[in-house]
Amino acid sequence: MDTTLPSTSTPVSMGTSIIAVTFDGGVILGADSRTTTGNYIANRVTDKITPLCDNVYTLRSGSASDTQAIAGYVQHFIAQHQAEEGDQITVKTAANLVKMMAYNNKDFLQAGLIVAGFDKHGGGQVYSISLGGTMTATPFAMSGSGSTYIHGFCDKYWREKMSEQDAMEFVTRALRYAMTWDASSGGCIRTVTITAAGAKRQFIQGSQIPPTYGELSREQVVA
Amino acid sequence: MSIFSYNGAAIVAMAGKECVAIGSDLRFGVQMQTITCDTPKVFKIHDKLYLGLSGLLTDAQTLHQKLMFRHNLYKLREERDMKPSTFGHLLSNALYERRFGPYFAAPVVAGLEPDGTPFLCGMDTIGAIETAKDFMITGTSPESLYGMCESMWRPDMGPEELFETVAQCLMSGFDRDALAGWGAVIHVITKDKVISRTLKTRMD
Repeated sequence: MDTTLPSTSTPVSMGTSIIAVTFDGGVILGADSRTTTGNYIANRVTDKITPLCDNVYTLRSGSASDTQAIAGYVQHFIAQHQAEEGDQITVKTAANLVKMMAYNNKDFLQAGLIVAGFDKHGGGQVYSISLGGTMTATPFAMSGSGSTYIHGFCDKYWREKMSEQDAMEFVTRALRYAMTWDASSGGCIRTVTITAAGAKRQFIQGSQIPPTYGELSREQVVA
Repeated sequence: MSIFSYNGAAIVAMAGKECVAIGSDLRFGVQMQTITCDTPKVFKIHDKLYLGLSGLLTDAQTLHQKLMFRHNLYKLREERDMKPSTFGHLLSNALYERRFGPYFAAPVVAGLEPDGTPFLCGMDTIGAIETAKDFMITGTSPESLYGMCESMWRPDMGPEELFETVAQCLMSGFDRDALAGWGAVIHVITKDKVISRTLKTRMD
């Protein structure tokens, strides 16, 4: 009798947990892998980390179709820009292109994006673009419905100039807390590390994600 | 959002050879926020009768309390436990009494009749009763649960096999449901004992 059948009229939303952090030498982007249509998990292995170009990637949250469309346009604009400039685009310029799309179409879009990458002028950078098109540059950023559960954690445990390993641990820890408490986040953890050497993808299976409260020990539940 | 998917639940009950099993997930949440992972939705009425309730958790809890009250009175007067089939009809009647202001709960009743035969029935929110010989499910993701149960149920399963089947159907079913999961509890009822097991599952 529950009426939330998956259908073409229920928007596909990426209730999501996404996070990007700068570290000493680059940035790490991390995301969960759940896409929901109402409460049906339409895709449990989604890839929410989309390349805009070789050195800049974006994390997508909000309406899946809106963010896919924005990413597609910006990939095209960046390719054009790089052909004209003859040089790799800066992260700031790429983020500004995303911001322009989000701001100019704010009445029609529901998209929260984080743009992060590495360029030789500014090193690793993270830009967060929220719903109306506000762009903010911060050392780390998180977004999506699951991010609300990890604001405190991230504020406490983030440090400047972490090593790549520490930053990866920070990202995966933050994401697994968000995935535990937010019903619309879950699945596996995907990360992309961007440094001067380029971009490297990693994948942590759901079964390999260490347990949080509730799994470590539990008394027998009796009806 | 529908009132039936405010909290979230997944409940599966299956009949085997002289045994029944019923299990539920353990999530308690408010819309998309998970609050705890230790809230079963299956309640014991007596040694051979368990009740699973999905839907709005407050109504599920209240219904359980009201039915326990009715069963306690019945026990005092009749000097025996209520038969599962009788209980099913009692519950159906109790739900229909509230036809125009219903409890937002959908029950599944699983038990063993006094002669040892398994009994399974399910109802909608206003008490339309339907008995089954194989399985009964309810929850926020019924399509996923039905699919799993239809594929995996076979007649005359023993208690161990029944447990495995219910466990796999429940877990695979709620892995596609954003509002259910975070652990599971399964009770297997046979004529001399009830074995209850808690499952460690994905906590997302």
